[in-house]
Amino acid sequence: MSEIKEIAPNKLVLFGVLGGLLGIYLTYLFPVLGMKIGGNVGGLLKVIAPTFGALGGICAVVWGADAVRRVSKYGLGTGVPSIGQIAMGMGIVASMFGIAIMAKFPLAGPVVSLVTASIIGLIIGWFAQNVIKMKIPVMVRGMTEIAAAGSLIILGFGVAVAGNFQFETFVKMVFDDGLILAVFWIGAVAILHPFNATLGPDEKQKRTTYLAFSTGAITMTIIGIGAIMTLGLSGAITMMLGIILWVIYYKKFWDEVYKDASSVLGTGLIPKTEA
Amino acid sequence: MVSLLDPVILQSILLIAISGTLICIAVHFIPVGGAPAAMAQATGIGTGTVELAAGSGLVGLITASYMYSSLPDPQSQMLLILASGAMGSMIMIACTMLMGSMVYAFGVGVPFASAQVKNDPITGDRQDLYMSKGTQGQGLPTVCFVSGVIGGMLGGIGGALIYYVLIGLYSQSAIIGTSAAAVAGVFTVGVFYVNSVIPSYGVGGTIEGFHDPKFRRVLPKDAFTSFCVSIMCGIVAVLIAGGM
Repeated sequence: MSEIKEIAPNKLVLFGVLGGLLGIYLTYLFPVLGMKIGGNVGGLLKVIAPTFGALGGICAVVWGADAVRRVSKYGLGTGVPSIGQIAMGMGIVASMFGIAIMAKFPLAGPVVSLVTASIIGLIIGWFAQNVIKMKIPVMVRGMTEIAAAGSLIILGFGVAVAGNFQFETFVKMVFDDGLILAVFWIGAVAILHPFNATLGPDEKQKRTTYLAFSTGAITMTIIGIGAIMTLGLSGAITMMLGIILWVIYYKKFWDEVYKDASSVLGTGLIPKTEA
Repeated sequence: MVSLLDPVILQSILLIAISGTLICIAVHFIPVGGAPAAMAQATGIGTGTVELAAGSGLVGLITASYMYSSLPDPQSQMLLILASGAMGSMIMIACTMLMGSMVYAFGVGVPFASAQVKNDPITGDRQDLYMSKGTQGQGLPTVCFVSGVIGGMLGGIGGALIYYVLIGLYSQSAIIGTSAAAVAGVFTVGVFYVNSVIPSYGVGGTIEGFHDPKFRRVLPKDAFTSFCVSIMCGIVAVLIAGGM
């Protein structure tokens, strides 16, 4: 088998962390800028701000899906979905902690969430490797990355619904109306589905990554529908952009599938009687 | 800022750690067969550990929270809340196993047999005679069903206990206040998932129940891991209530 050039894990970590945090912070920054500029441009900035949270969430999904891919390649014994669920479990604990403990200095919230998630992931990874003895060499690093990505997914898509990451607003807009469960579940599926669907000996990073973009975009679309309820117009923009991104990346994934398959044939239906 | 050394806070953290461990132990009781069981080639329900533990545990959480909201003085009625959590989980897991058994018996058409024991420890029926060649047993023998119901009970108590502790803490918190139920519920779900995935890595996908030799082999280290991780989750949960 020829060596296929893959994107280095470190590059994807940078993409996820920087993209995710940038998206989350832009939702905070744009309304402030909008206030200063005023007029129509200011208003527009304010309306499109929450959409950037969802875009940051997609960056985190892509990173998380690649981390899931690296860990699950070794075979977990329990199926890939379990790792997506533990990612969201760790992510939700850490992100709530981050924004709650920094309620007085909300700007530090996302970073504190990311750091807390990494620590929780590191500890769980260490236990999985050394106490449960899973014998997966990348377990500690993988768990750390997955937990961190999980917290950024919760925050990114949560911010797209709430409009900002202040604890009071976040609790009122995301928790009280139950949208957090949508963020939790669809986020989990977004992170676990790409590898779960493409796994096997001929799995390729490019194909999995395109699928991760498309599941991220689906999450964005559904979160957009939720955000119409809480934020109105901003939610509609999130939803529309989500649909556009989904179509683009699903087409790319589709093309990748056709490229990787040796040939694609229509076989017709199974004949009713033996020939 | 809350003091972590306050006895009430310490007790809360310990209770969360105990509930996490209960959830972890619960997972070991539930007969999970994973993908092989889905093809009737292994004993247990044909899905993942996490799905089953979480599915039954979350129903327990719903029944426990319903009980919490309908009691006049819920904080003094801990046993009732835990019992309703356990009931909910047990009913859910029993329904899942019953419907699974119907499919195995009337759909797939396999006799129920365990691969791990020669005789069913509860009914005393011979098992190995009914095992198809090349499989790890099929369906859900009586002992697996009983084990699963015990697992549901432990998981339900675990989930209800976390919810009970957290809602007590959060309803007095200045920054959460009226949203205590939502925040406590979601946090419980988070801790639940962490604690149901950890043991599923330990058991490696399939376990038949308390009669499985694997049960004794993996339970101590999984429970220890869950206890440590849940203490950490407990500290995080308590700090959320205080803010900074």
